[in-house]
Amino acid sequence: MKVAYYKGCLASLSAKELDSSTQALAPKLDIELDELDAVTCCGAGDIHEAEPDYYLHLNARILAYGAATGADTLMTICNVCTLNLRQANWQLKNDDELRERVNKNLQTVGVPAYGGNIEVKHFLWLIAEGDGYEKLKQVAHKGLKGLKVAPFYGCQILRPSKLLGFEDPDKPHSLEAIIDACGGEAIDYPAKIKCCGFPIIQAREDTALGELLQPIEQATEAGADAMVTPCPLCHLSLDAWQSKLRERTGRDFHMPILHLSQLIGVAAGVEDSELKFKRHVVSVQPVLDKLEV
Amino acid sequence: MEATHDVLVVGAGLAGMRAAIEAHDLGADVALISKIHPVRSHSGAAEGGINAALGNASDDDPEKHAYDTVKGSDYLGDQDAIEILCNEAPGDVYQLEHWGAIFSRTEDGRIAQRPFGAAGEPRTAYAADITGHVLIHVLYEQVMKRDLRTYEEFFAWKLVIDDDRCQGVIAWDLLNGGLKTIGAKTVIIATGGAGRLYQGTTNAYACTGDGMTMALRVGVPLKDMEMMQFHPTTLSPTGVLITEGTRGEGAYLLNSESERFLKRYAPNAMELASRDVISRAEQTEIDEGRGVDGSVLLDLRHLGAEKILERLHGTRELAMTFALVDPIHEPIPVRPGAHYHMGGIDTDVDGKTELEGLYAAGECACVSVHGANRLGGNALMETITYGKRSGAVAADWALTHTTVAVPPSVESDAQRELKTLLDRGDGERPWRIRDELAKTMHENFGVFRREKQMKEQEQIVGYLRERYESVVVEDKGEVFNNDLTQALELGFLLELADCMVVSGLARKESRGAHARPHDYPDRDDENYLKHTIVRWIGGRPVLDWKPVTITKWQPEERKY
Amino acid sequence: MDVALKIWRVDGETGERELKTYEVEAPEWACLLDVLDIIKDRHDGTLAYRKSCRMMICGSCGMRMDGRAILACKERMKPIVERGHVPVISSMGNLPIVKDLVVSMDPFWDKIRAIKPWLDPGYDEAPERERIVSQKEMNVIAKESLCIMCGCCVSECNAMEADPDFRGPAALAKEMRFVGDARDQDDVPRLNTVNDEHGVWDCTRCYFCNERCPKGVDPRDAIAKLGAESVKQGIDHDLGAKHAKWFVVSSKTTGWLREAELVPKTQGIIAAIKETKLALSLLRHGKLPPPGPIHVAAEVDEARALYDLVKSQDRDGALGIVQGERGLARIEHVEAEGAHRDVPEVTPSETPTPAEG
Repeated sequence: MKVAYYKGCLASLSAKELDSSTQALAPKLDIELDELDAVTCCGAGDIHEAEPDYYLHLNARILAYGAATGADTLMTICNVCTLNLRQANWQLKNDDELRERVNKNLQTVGVPAYGGNIEVKHFLWLIAEGDGYEKLKQVAHKGLKGLKVAPFYGCQILRPSKLLGFEDPDKPHSLEAIIDACGGEAIDYPAKIKCCGFPIIQAREDTALGELLQPIEQATEAGADAMVTPCPLCHLSLDAWQSKLRERTGRDFHMPILHLSQLIGVAAGVEDSELKFKRHVVSVQPVLDKLEV
Repeated sequence: MEATHDVLVVGAGLAGMRAAIEAHDLGADVALISKIHPVRSHSGAAEGGINAALGNASDDDPEKHAYDTVKGSDYLGDQDAIEILCNEAPGDVYQLEHWGAIFSRTEDGRIAQRPFGAAGEPRTAYAADITGHVLIHVLYEQVMKRDLRTYEEFFAWKLVIDDDRCQGVIAWDLLNGGLKTIGAKTVIIATGGAGRLYQGTTNAYACTGDGMTMALRVGVPLKDMEMMQFHPTTLSPTGVLITEGTRGEGAYLLNSESERFLKRYAPNAMELASRDVISRAEQTEIDEGRGVDGSVLLDLRHLGAEKILERLHGTRELAMTFALVDPIHEPIPVRPGAHYHMGGIDTDVDGKTELEGLYAAGECACVSVHGANRLGGNALMETITYGKRSGAVAADWALTHTTVAVPPSVESDAQRELKTLLDRGDGERPWRIRDELAKTMHENFGVFRREKQMKEQEQIVGYLRERYESVVVEDKGEVFNNDLTQALELGFLLELADCMVVSGLARKESRGAHARPHDYPDRDDENYLKHTIVRWIGGRPVLDWKPVTITKWQPEERKY
Repeated sequence: MDVALKIWRVDGETGERELKTYEVEAPEWACLLDVLDIIKDRHDGTLAYRKSCRMMICGSCGMRMDGRAILACKERMKPIVERGHVPVISSMGNLPIVKDLVVSMDPFWDKIRAIKPWLDPGYDEAPERERIVSQKEMNVIAKESLCIMCGCCVSECNAMEADPDFRGPAALAKEMRFVGDARDQDDVPRLNTVNDEHGVWDCTRCYFCNERCPKGVDPRDAIAKLGAESVKQGIDHDLGAKHAKWFVVSSKTTGWLREAELVPKTQGIIAAIKETKLALSLLRHGKLPPPGPIHVAAEVDEARALYDLVKSQDRDGALGIVQGERGLARIEHVEAEGAHRDVPEVTPSETPTPAEG
């Protein structure tokens, strides 16, 4: 299938490994990525809060350019982008008056009008079930050899479920299904759907670390070899800020954190040069050793 | 004694909070007692609106409002009380708006008013279909602003009497346990109604008539106890309320033949006839086999999704959750349910009872503003206007008197009584008695009443009261023992049931909500244009009568 | 139908707790509250819980089912029974337990009172009639006015779990009810109040409150509205606000977020130096692009132009969020399908998380 590909800010910058692994993996899953470049940051919760009218227009612009590629689906690789774009999409699709106003503004600055005709889906959703899932099973031939992987969903791929609605927000299992298909062992633990703290990691570090501790600690206690997440923001929290937990708890967790595309990429035999594990702050080497990669 | 206050308000719903605010603003030291947190009070469940002749939707005035109320009461309402309500209503509603009540608005930004049952003009001010919710929150905000002392989750059980005066309240502290006495120069009872007497009721679990029985037990008379309003649109089997506002917005009532059957009962007003008329019509349709599974159908489909989502959003939520029906696409099955008690503690137009120092306001009081049947939207108005009035009068009395005396024997007697109840190990759990009471009241003292059934019910209530003597409280603990308070509530209900049936038997006519189509189908103004009064003497209700105050309107035939 | 429940019985004073199983018969239409009533009436009178209206308006019966806050009167039991599931019932989170399913709501109400929850009309003498306000103006707070103070949002708040002093979704939504009310004249002092350490910028945006609220208040959106109004009023001293504004600046200049400058631009050089250790580790792994030419998205001038255009159109502040509410209200929520797989019995948070007082 051909999708319009919106990679978001982090995949362009600090999480380049997410973009490269996604771009390497997608063709193997028969997903052709038409990358959007006349786009901006989706605004995250920040522009939504500071300048909400502007947030709506930025996202409408992304949707408009996405729809202009002719694809049915706008694919995202970040929880926050997914929520933002889907929220804007619902607002525009269900309110003719609002869409009219926004389109008028878009056209004034030279952006095509948006007809409400594209669906925003996270990469996770495209491969967690149906044809995508079947393809995944074929592609993940190298397998994870029983690697114990703790999925971390984070918040904005699940809630508000009214806007996202792919799976039960309290009992999600798309990541588990994928880990399974890749030959790994999914580890369950309560905090997998709780917040990693990233949105406030700068402004309220103490509070954020109090949140971050829960998934890291619980996954460690449950015996996980690694964690996987569909969101590069959660990844930044779990990976780059993990060392800060040492100050709080006196513990070094050394828990490798993988992006979803990397996890599948490893199982599918994607080259390390594309997976770029060296970019992680917490070393992924123990995982690679276990997998004899 | 825990503390003493100038004015102690029992019950923190709309009437209670309004009274407390007024008394405080007049300089009295006020406290509220409530067995649940104030915002949990059942006033919050009111949906449709509050009546006042604001004149925003049509040319209206208090006299028209008063006439509609008098006629609606089937001429049993005291017209001086009604005139006061209708005259003060507009100012009282504006006061609520000034405090921040969130009303729905007209095109020109004024308080919107919708048509409601038995009203000649659209005068029901509303907030979508959550008017009670909006009002209870605005009043609680004003309570918080004044930092009014609230004995939260204190279960008021007995009134303290000394020297022929009410001197305070004895209550069970639900959170910590133990009986606490709170002294007060004046006590205002605002404890609401007693819908829990019935199986299908719109009322919350908390509506067990506590204040009425507390007053009854110290010799204060109750008035018009037989007058229980059955709301025409409640869900089966629970009785959850579907607002009259649906009919105000244009909904239809249909029977199993898809007929708008009200054309045979109230051809002019149709779905906006008086509640008792509609409940009787529905019950007749159901009894004569034209119901659908014991209900009739409330059809909102023709109103359209937009209007329903905007004005009746709460109703839709209730229908979808409890009836599993989306009113945008399907009609809602409804039937009559016990809803509002017109009767209650006998008061004058200032909320004063016979007992010095004791006042009452709101549903638990009977001024009487509603007579034999209440208009939709008038109950909320009564809570505000009469809450305010009784608060003012109580504050005035309290500020001009000084002493409070609680005799120690009162406390120790109460302790002893409670101990007997708590110590009992063998006996019956309250639920059986409670469920039997509710079922039999529903069958024998419902929309239609018959001599034989009422007499039977009198026996049944007597028998249930006997069984109550050996009721067992399983939880013997101190912390949050609502097993105990629920048992005490049952005691309150049983005595009220007795009063109601005795009054019902005595009124040998059909008037308003008291319908006796089989033995006394007509209204008998010559013999019964008067209120029933019951006093508790020797452990039983003893009946008396009281005249109705007539100022402007002579009784006429009541047709809709 | 036969219903089985597991309930956490708790002694609030000693902290002792026990998970007890109850099996009762209940009518098909029963909600969780009805089942609790049957248990209390006929099996165990010592079970403590709050209830009143049983129709989702009084807010008494907030509790947790399988670790997530619900109103007991709203949860129908039939679908749960049909799935063969035995739910675990416990008290709401983030609040101290009094007994069993009863929590102390004192911390909850303290936070409500702390935001001055009454209208400040800015006058002492009231006008004779009602103030003129349009329905459109009142609609700005349509959702916030639905709040029944049940505590379900507070129960699930991830930020409050980590910071018990966080004002929380209920108090902040209540604040927005006033800030957004055209009749309240106290906007700036109110906004200043909630721009404090435990205010709007302490919200972690986990959206649990929106998810759990049984009335559709969407407290997270109310918090975002407060943030929007704060920025509109020029109240941006909080690091959270500065952080948010940097996103706006980035979008207008480079399109993508200017991550490297985020800390120095929002926190200043001193703080940036304090974070040197972290910054260096990020730099080493290539997570922090070295200072130099920044990757700029294509056609960024369109974004710049859009910004100027929308700023001139009077939908500043909270209105930018309110305008989308009509569209969102029209979503027909369909039961989520999703990856089909046998779901194991272990549900998240079967054991209640310890509540902080």
